[in-house]
Amino acid sequence: MQLIYVIALFATCALAFDGPAARPADGPPGESKRKAVGVQSLSLVGDPPHWAFQPIRRIEPPMVQNTGWAKTPVDRFILAQLEANGLSPAPRAGKEELIRRTAFDLVGLPPTPAEIDDFVNDPSPDAYAKLIDRLLASPHYGERWGRHWLDVARFAETDGFEHDTVRPHAWRYRDYVIQSFNLDKPYDRFIREQIAGDQLYPEDNQALLATAFNLLGPDMVDSSDQVQRRQITLNDMTDTAAQAFLGITLSCARCHNHKFEPLTQKDYYRFQAFFTPAVFRNDLPVPSPSERQAHQAALDEYNRLGKSRLEELAALEAPYRQKLYERKLAKLSPEAQAAIKTPAAERTTEQSNQIQETEALLEVTDKEILNSMSQEDQSRQRALKTALGKLPKPPALPMTLALQDPKKPAAKAFILVRGDHNNRGDQVQPGFPSVLEDSIGSRTRPGSAVDLPGGERQVTPRSQSQIASEATRRADLAEWLASSDNPLTARVMVNRIWQHHFGRGIVPTPSDFGRQGLPPTHPDLLDWLATEFIASGWSVKEMHKLLLLSSVYQQSSRASAEALARDPGNQLYSRRNRLRLEGEIIRDSLLAVSGALSPRMGGPGVFPPIPDDLQKAAKAWTVSRNPEDRNRRSIYIFSRRNLRFPFLEVFDAPDSNLSCPERSQSTSAPQSLALLNADEVLAASRATVARLMREAASNVERIKLAYRLTLGRGPTEREQTLAAEFLKQAPWSEFCRALFNLNAFVYVD
Amino acid sequence: MSQCCGPNGPDTRPKNRREFLRRAGCGVGMLALSSLLDREGLLTGQARAAEAARANPLLPKAPHFPARAKSVIFLFMSGGPSHVDLFDPKPDLIRLAGQPIPESFGAFKTRRAVAKNKLLAPVRSFRKHGQSGLDVSEFLPHIAGCADDLCVLRGCYGDSVTHPESVYLMNTGSILMGRPSLGAWATYGLGTENQNMPSFVVMPDPSGWVKGGAPAWGNGYMPAVYQGTLLRGGESPILHLKTPNGISASQQQSTVDLINQLNRDDLRPGEEDSELSARIAAYELAFRMQAHAPEVVDISRETEATKKLYGLDNQTTGEFGLRCLLARRMVERGVRFVQLYCGDTNGWDGHSDVEGNHAKLCAESDRPVAGLLNDLKSRGLLDSTLVIWGGEFGRMPMSEGSNGRDHNPHGFCMWMAGGGVKGGQVIGATDAVGLRAEQERTHVHDLHATILHLLGFDHTRLTFRHNSRNERLTDVAGEIIAKAIA
Repeated sequence: MQLIYVIALFATCALAFDGPAARPADGPPGESKRKAVGVQSLSLVGDPPHWAFQPIRRIEPPMVQNTGWAKTPVDRFILAQLEANGLSPAPRAGKEELIRRTAFDLVGLPPTPAEIDDFVNDPSPDAYAKLIDRLLASPHYGERWGRHWLDVARFAETDGFEHDTVRPHAWRYRDYVIQSFNLDKPYDRFIREQIAGDQLYPEDNQALLATAFNLLGPDMVDSSDQVQRRQITLNDMTDTAAQAFLGITLSCARCHNHKFEPLTQKDYYRFQAFFTPAVFRNDLPVPSPSERQAHQAALDEYNRLGKSRLEELAALEAPYRQKLYERKLAKLSPEAQAAIKTPAAERTTEQSNQIQETEALLEVTDKEILNSMSQEDQSRQRALKTALGKLPKPPALPMTLALQDPKKPAAKAFILVRGDHNNRGDQVQPGFPSVLEDSIGSRTRPGSAVDLPGGERQVTPRSQSQIASEATRRADLAEWLASSDNPLTARVMVNRIWQHHFGRGIVPTPSDFGRQGLPPTHPDLLDWLATEFIASGWSVKEMHKLLLLSSVYQQSSRASAEALARDPGNQLYSRRNRLRLEGEIIRDSLLAVSGALSPRMGGPGVFPPIPDDLQKAAKAWTVSRNPEDRNRRSIYIFSRRNLRFPFLEVFDAPDSNLSCPERSQSTSAPQSLALLNADEVLAASRATVARLMREAASNVERIKLAYRLTLGRGPTEREQTLAAEFLKQAPWSEFCRALFNLNAFVYVD
Repeated sequence: MSQCCGPNGPDTRPKNRREFLRRAGCGVGMLALSSLLDREGLLTGQARAAEAARANPLLPKAPHFPARAKSVIFLFMSGGPSHVDLFDPKPDLIRLAGQPIPESFGAFKTRRAVAKNKLLAPVRSFRKHGQSGLDVSEFLPHIAGCADDLCVLRGCYGDSVTHPESVYLMNTGSILMGRPSLGAWATYGLGTENQNMPSFVVMPDPSGWVKGGAPAWGNGYMPAVYQGTLLRGGESPILHLKTPNGISASQQQSTVDLINQLNRDDLRPGEEDSELSARIAAYELAFRMQAHAPEVVDISRETEATKKLYGLDNQTTGEFGLRCLLARRMVERGVRFVQLYCGDTNGWDGHSDVEGNHAKLCAESDRPVAGLLNDLKSRGLLDSTLVIWGGEFGRMPMSEGSNGRDHNPHGFCMWMAGGGVKGGQVIGATDAVGLRAEQERTHVHDLHATILHLLGFDHTRLTFRHNSRNERLTDVAGEIIAKAIA
């Protein structure tokens, strides 16, 4: 086993019982922790400053002895450590191993036997580079890497809580992410769009819907305290942005100054103040220019053709509507009535709450109007509606969750004492965490720090007059986050990319680069990669190439006795780690191997079958009628907060309520039961048998093909014998079912 | 709103290079990590668990200190039962009935703007029961018979007037989504005694799930292995348990044999203790689970007397009675945490006709609950089984409509029995009409701290590291209710 995995888990989300003796007096054991990983200590000594808050260093790759192996600078950083520890790297992986590894890493699908043959039989020195290019150009690449980002973005398509109401437009954000990865959208632009796409690129409908990122968390829509509800959403977007882009646990400073990091409570609310004025939309139309034009034309036409009838209908209904409304209003409590009669600007918080809660009670439905009408008016209304119904209707516009600027002056932001929205402290202006401001300070911004009355220090990349303007507030944050001078942004992202290729980040706590997180095992490499990333124009695909073309990545997963003895945890990358596939990829592989996988991309979420009793218990899980939709890639399965898709859940799919930088990896009996008995596996077994019968002529050939389809390699002699022996007693479907249960199927070498 | 940060939980990371290498390098795999960490913390000095047990994160673990409760049965009355009509008699509520609540009570939050409504007298009368003279309403004659076992907490309060937020608070310690549930914490801390069954079993009401749904028994940020497993009736009580139709038991066995054979062949030097080995062991477990779990839900060998005790002979009580009986069978077989939901999606939510609503649910649950307590007791299991009864909140003293009651998180009752709890007592009190907890107030965090204590845990030390923070069930709060402990 690759013990490195132990460490990765250990570091982040693994079991952490604490013994009585383990309690630190106060704060982190800074120095000892740095020694903990023991591979390479940072030259930055002393507490503070913390390494991650310091500028990214430009570093030359170290000199190494084995220059033949070290083909890329990445290799030199790794090899220098190996050599320093007297270790040699593992030999290069076999070509079959390599294509399977690379295909799963980049597109999340097993290579087909033909693809394997092409690669294995391509003797050219750039065969592997061509393979990488081909996979990076595949649209499946975005589906694979988009899923990693969706974990960080706590993506789901319902509100959660009691009603778990569907967010019918949330899938557009999922498609936006997939598309962004496929287009190799520069990461700095990806950040800008998600934080402030509406302010920075108002003409780009993709950028408008990117701000949905901020609103993806759970939402208690019918909360009894709408002020609290809004505050919870603000907290969620503050915490998530800080974790996702900066890799800092700012959330721990919500109620008090951070106990371990140089982050103050004021930092928290200054950061939040960038979001405070935003309007939260769940139905913002985001048509492309042509869609907008077509819609407007259709609408104009509808109104023109229906003009007289529409006017007559409105006039006919108006008195009934008014009467019904007044009757409903009179039924409300005197307080609620008073709240409604108070002009919006003058309402107290209590009154705003009351209105939120009673609004629905005042809605007059068409049915009520119809029921209250005289018979004569009823028949007239029916006639009008029938006539209008015959007119061509304008198509519905695509909509999205999004942040928008308020039309009124921005709400003020305050420190909330102990995080309590009813307990406002000092007012704050938008601003960046001061520890980062100190380290990158004025270098990024023409406008430097401004001291405000009351000791408030405000920094903005723009001029003082501009920050007051709402049109630039989130844009300021976006620019600062996406700045090449920000010490965290590039490091955090290259670390996430590394993490998904190697099974563990260089910083093993991918969303915590603070003092509480674990230090980088290879700090120089991290900085070198971050520098390269920025220099490449924040190209994620270039970063993949850089990593995959290294000898480190291409090592065999077979460990030498020496490596096992001296690098048991594979801290030094003395070999490749065997990594388990995620539930989504296991399911996608089942579909791919059996030939059932639908290549269709994008669109609203799909509903493959789930067990009957769950279907009854969960609201609105209507199995997709189109059989093809049951065989789409797992990223397109509708993501319901209150009911995770069972096959994915059992393999540790995150619960999507909090940002998940790294999935836990449990190994459990329910997983074995799922792979043995779930319909997904049985269906795949049956379909694979059909394929074997179709595509291979003899039993020997069929066994060989089955192995190549499921494991990406042919069977060994012993395996061929065992299989033949097994098949004397058992049907082929059982043989396929067995293959789907192998470690070699759910792990990648 | 106190979902804040910062219990500066102990740092369990390696303190130096040597320790790190010792931990990482002593040849144990990922799944042995739990035992590894146990060694560091909980299980200091204990021998390393057997090789086979390593493959399982649910292997039994010792708590922080010895405890009487080994398992928990949480009878969750979903929708919020009315404390003033069940366990908290209020003479003043009878006296003041028909009048608005006196102004001296001040302002308070309600879900449905009932604050100015007239007070509604308890809809049933109360009598004292048992040697302890515990007050129980006439709604619950059978539970009343167990009065001397009950520790009624009359001073409970929570944070929200809505169902899902309160359901999450009661189950996960936060009104927000995404935190592990009490059952997940218990199994994370203790593992399970019976590897052939899931450690945390949930039996929702067959007519509908609690408001808030599956996240109420979820694993939150913990690994999926700790979440509640739904137990359903029929041949496949656990999802994917049953060998698929058309595949014989012997075929299943030989297929699993082939899987194990090939998986073992594929292991490489250095992987003896790895996750990949753990997967092989997981197939063994799965196979045993297939053999044993159906027996757990098979009640054919229970005596008629036992079935009657739980009300299985009666249409009204039969359904909940069966689930209570299954709860006992599971606890008997070492399942760590069983949660039963009583009441469909609306359940005890008596916004109108609280009398009719409670009459129905009490009729359905009173005998089964009493049967469970008595059965556990006669089998000598009550002492090691903590039984918890209660909902997400209580109900308002004033009326909604003419005869209903709105949600009340400001003051309500829960009760506990067995598992090291001192029975026959009342702890805490609401104010004169039952609006707010007033004396010996017990926040939900306090209840959780007490439950963990009864299981042998210091709630401030049972932590799970998530995003570099040592998270706790009780966040930064929680006081043990000392008087509750025998």
